[in-house]
Order: sequence, then C-alpha cells, then structure tokens
Amino acid sequence: MSIETIHLDKVCKRFRLGTANEYGRLTEAIASNVVKWLRQSPAPKPSSCSDSPTQQLEDGWFWALRDIDLSIQSGDIVGIVGRNGAGKSTLLKILSRIVTPTQGRVGVRGRVGSLLEVGTGFHPELTGRENVFLNGALLGMPRAEIRRRFDEIVAFAEIDSFLDTPVKRYSSGMAVRLAFAVAAHLEPDVLIIDEVLSVGDQAFQRKCLGKASQLGDQGRTILIVSHNLSAVANLCRRAVLMQNGKIVADGAPESIIEQYLSDSQSGGGQRRWEDDESAPSSSEVRLQAVVVRGNGIDAPTGEVDIDREIVVAVDYKVLSNNAKVSVQIQVKDETGAYVFWSANAPSMSVSPDPWFGKPHPRGLYRSECRIPANFLNDTRYFISVLIGPEVGVTSLRQESVLSFLVHDTGVMRQEYTGSWHGPVIRPRLDWKTQSL
Amino acid sequence: MQYYGPTDSFGFGQLSEVWRMRELLYSFFLRDLLIRYRQVVVGVLWVLLQPIMGMLIFMGLFSVLGTNAGSSNVAYAPIVLTGMLCWQLVSSSFRDATGSLVNYRHVVTKIYFPRLLLPLASLLCATFDFLIGSLLLIPVCWMTGTAVVWSTVWLAIPIAAWLILFCAGCIAWLSSLNAHYRDVGYALPFVMQLGMFLSPIVYDVERLRHVLNEKWLWLYEANPIATCVGLLRWAIMGTPLPSSIGMALAAAITALVFLSGLSWFQHADQQLADRI
Repeated sequence: MSIETIHLDKVCKRFRLGTANEYGRLTEAIASNVVKWLRQSPAPKPSSCSDSPTQQLEDGWFWALRDIDLSIQSGDIVGIVGRNGAGKSTLLKILSRIVTPTQGRVGVRGRVGSLLEVGTGFHPELTGRENVFLNGALLGMPRAEIRRRFDEIVAFAEIDSFLDTPVKRYSSGMAVRLAFAVAAHLEPDVLIIDEVLSVGDQAFQRKCLGKASQLGDQGRTILIVSHNLSAVANLCRRAVLMQNGKIVADGAPESIIEQYLSDSQSGGGQRRWEDDESAPSSSEVRLQAVVVRGNGIDAPTGEVDIDREIVVAVDYKVLSNNAKVSVQIQVKDETGAYVFWSANAPSMSVSPDPWFGKPHPRGLYRSECRIPANFLNDTRYFISVLIGPEVGVTSLRQESVLSFLVHDTGVMRQEYTGSWHGPVIRPRLDWKTQSL
Repeated sequence: MQYYGPTDSFGFGQLSEVWRMRELLYSFFLRDLLIRYRQVVVGVLWVLLQPIMGMLIFMGLFSVLGTNAGSSNVAYAPIVLTGMLCWQLVSSSFRDATGSLVNYRHVVTKIYFPRLLLPLASLLCATFDFLIGSLLLIPVCWMTGTAVVWSTVWLAIPIAAWLILFCAGCIAWLSSLNAHYRDVGYALPFVMQLGMFLSPIVYDVERLRHVLNEKWLWLYEANPIATCVGLLRWAIMGTPLPSSIGMALAAAITALVFLSGLSWFQHADQQLADRI
C-alpha cells in the first residue's frame, strides 16, 4: 500500500535578482535599516505569489516558484522536466530543506537523501574511508549503519584499492561513484537526484539507474531532475513539467515528455506559425517555421549532442513572384554574446546554395544551415533569423526565435574533466607538435 | 509527516535537532581534528605548545619589564596559563566558527542538516583543546609551588561550562552574520586583539583594582570572559572572587547572548542558502 511521502502546499519561493546585497556589506544593511526606520515604513511584505501575474517583480525580486501543490506517494519515481530556469532545481532544494520556502509549507515523511551535486561534502584531505563516514553522517545515516553497510558501499563504488587514499587524488569518476554509492545505500525514504547521473561512464550510469529503479521497487520515493529525457522516460513512473516556476503538467512520463518537446516555449527545437496572421512576414516572404535538429535525426530537438552536426532549417513562403531571397542566421549565447552570423551567400557557404541570387517563384522553400559538430560549447544558444533580398539587407527579422541546448557527451573530456564553462564556443582544432 | 516552512519561533527547535543529529556533530568534530593534524609533524603536541609558548612569552615580557602582572599571593605562571587557556578557547572557537558556514557553503547549499552543527563543531574542537591544555596546569602548579584550593577546584567544571555557553551564543551570532555580511570576518581579528587586553588574560584583575576604581570594576566584570577567567583562578588558586554585581551582570549577558544568538541563527538560517 502506498502512502503519501511528500506533500507541498502552495509553496512559493522568492529570490532577489542580480547582485544586490548578495555579498551585502553590514554598513549598507545598517544604513538602509536606519533609513527605513526613520521613514517609519515597515519592511516590504512579499505580496502573495498567486497575486503576481508575472514571475519578475519591479523591485528586483523574482518568484522562482509559484503556488506549487504536489503530492507524491511512496514507490513513485518522479521525473521533473522543464527548460533551464523553470524552477526544477529550486523545487528539489526546497524538498531537501536546503532552501526555506517564502510561503507555504512542505511535508516530508521519513529520511531524505539528496544528491544535488556529485561528491558534495567530500573533504579532499580525508581518505575515501573517512569520507564515507562523514558523507553518510551528512545524509543522516547513523555510524553503526554505515559500518554495517560499508563493504557493500565500497563494492558498489568499485574503489577498494583507493580506500585509504585522500579523495583529492581520486579521478572525478571515482568520486562520483563513491558519492552515489553512499547516497544509494543509506536507504533514504526519499532520494532526490539532480542531474548527477550525467557524469560517469555509460556502464556506471546504467548501474545507477538500475539501483534507482530497485529502490523504487522497495517502495522508496525518488525524484529526478534530468535533461536526459530517455532516462526519465525509462526510469520514471510519473513526470512533472515545470514552466516559469509553475507545474504545468503532471502525468505519465511519455506524454509529459511529448508535451515538453512539442512546446515551442520549452525549447523543443522548433517554432511554427500555423496561421498567416501571426506569422512574421514582409512584402515578399512569410516565415513558416524554424527548426533545429541533430544531423541524422528527423525529429526537431531542443538538445543536440556536442559531437553531432546541428541543422537549422528555415521554412518560408515566397509571396511575390520572382523575389530574390537571402536567408541569414545569427547565433547568440545565453549572456547575449554574439557568437556568429552567417548567410547563404556562396562565399560564406561550404558549397554554394543553388537558389542564392536567383529569383524565387511563389511557393514554399526551406533553407538549411549546418553548424559543424564539435564547434559549440555545452550551453544554450539563441537563433535569430533574418531574411532580405540580398546579404546585408534585412526586410524580415526575428530575434531569438528559437533556442537549443548543446549537450556534452564527453567527447572532449578524455583527458580534461574540469569545467568548460566560460568560452562561447568549444571548437575541436588541429594540433601538432614537432621537435625543432 | 513532518511539515516545515517559514517560521518565527525562538529557535529552541534547533537544539532538539542538534541533539538528534549528534552523530553528525561528532563526525564534523572528528573531521576537523583529523584535518588539523594532517601533514603536521609535531601533531597533537601543538595543542600543548600553544598555551606554553603564550605563557613563556608573557612571563619573559613582564620579567624584562620588571612588573608583576599577576596576583600578589599566587605565582604568575599558573595565572597567565589559566588566562591563555581560556583565551585560546574563546579566540579559536570564534575564529573557526565565524568562517564555518562560509567555508562550507558548497555543502550548505547542497545538503540539509542543522546548520548550527557547523559552528558547534568548531566550538567542540576548541573545547577539546581546552581540556587537553588544562592538564598543563598540574605540572605548572606543582613546579611553581602553587597551592591548589581543593575545596573549590571542582567548581572549575561548571565555570568552564559557563564560558563555553557564552562562546556558543557568540558564535551563533558571528557565524550567521558572517554568512550574510563578510565584514564580520575582517573585523574579528581586531576585536579579538582588543578583547584580549580588555579581559584579564595576561594579567590578574587585582592589578586593575589600582587603576579602576572599585566603583567601576563591575562594568569590567560584566564581560563574561573576564568573570569566567577570574572565577577559574578563584576556584583553582584562591585569588579574590569577582564582585557579585559583576557576576550577576555577566550571567545575564551570557543568557541574553545565548538566547538571542539562537533566535537570530534560526532567522538567518532561513535565507542562508540564498544569501551565502
């Protein structure tokens, strides 16, 4: 029989945007409090999140979560999907008590184990053995129980010969394995996993997924946030779709994933204009669709593997006969940095576009641009589409019409396992050293 | 099902949670101990060396200056050693606890546990050092021929507990304030330097009686550190007892700091992961 293990009751979470007071200075805080006191105005009470129509408030606050009601039974394996910034991680942090909700209350039955980042709580100076005890205690496991399950944990992590080596000398893969092994063996009633399974090799990932599904069979509740939709589909028995801090859909994983992918706002890899009224158009052309897909994959996708060529297709209808049409795309990253610009002109194309410079008879056209594999970094990119009679002349412009995420498959992580965060692109280049 | 959400309570709930998670407190304490003496040659001897060095430095300083900073009827060495041990407890717990939340923020923002455990683990470490260091009083008293007052020496334990309680209140304030305002960490060293001379660490209160009028001594003794050090010397070596007004004030201040610290910590804890 399943019982309710998680209950969220009208939970809201408000964050302050920007750097204001993030590393606040005491003097400033005192000064602003004195000013407030002199003016006799009480501290601004957060307006209820349900009243607020938008996520962002004027005074620099932001509703990361709005009116979340959620009830989860024991034995449920729930996947949480949604685009970046939808509030998935905040939700997990509230469930694991790291973050206190601004309004509402959260109820949890039993012990909660959270795995929000790999190796959290590992101390680099301590040995693997010492870290198992420390990490187990952090996750709420009594020492006696850790001692009892110690061999099992070590066997699962496959690190027996490194037990008495400080964790600072571990490879990242070993640290991940040890961290997951501790978390999975502490037998939490609720296990919360955020995107950690994207590291580690394939075999270990399969092992982790197997363990998670086994825990679910034992009647434990598991919550997973992942961009790996196939893992969500295979493992989860229920999925929740989040958008702009709200739960917008809840149900069987297949249908939720379908909804997530087809939703143009969710970055599902395509943007279509069904009716002619709303479609962006100029006197010569009307935009019909912009689609991103991986090379060799037919379905549009909001997420492309880093080692796969990315195809950007622009569908448009030529309205006036024999119009000259040149299609251009601009790509920017999340910070707004301008990554590149390209047009279908012969000198800008690997092979000349047969339609370039030619008069287009009325009808439907599709211009495709291929962005090479191993070129972009693993971040989100935004595509703007520009159409004009010739290169450099724009009669139709759609800013950030579509976004896609480049997924790191680890092809460039054989030797270097650290962060790639920072560079706008991550091209694979030709290197050669010779002795002179 | 256990519910939680925004709360305005006084923070006593944190104490029961700390008790429930005492094994984690022990793990943190063990971790701090293990890390402190890793890649250190002299090892645990540092715990003994620090107060001895402090004692020798001030003994040397005052003998060169030709002043008696101690009490008129007790040797200077045990006087300054008692002071140094207490000061080490206060200063190292303040120093380590102030940074405890900030230095551990990568965990604080990823795993939930009662955050009070982190500063408390620093205090536990300092207490451990204090207890080990206290053993030094035995040879020092013996070598200087100091007569131990056997009838009151057991009172040293509740007096030390008082000092530790005061430290607990202070570090609850310091650690959470530092998580929000890093100024605290920068200001602390100066305040500690001042505090060392405002408390009878390297001198005995007796020396102050000449400077401070009896009328103002109670104000000096309102500082719980001053009172606790004075009481410890009284209990062990029979120096004069601090004034009763001073003790009452110090006790009231200790209670105030502890209770307000607990309540403030809970208040700050609710925004900790957002602000740290």
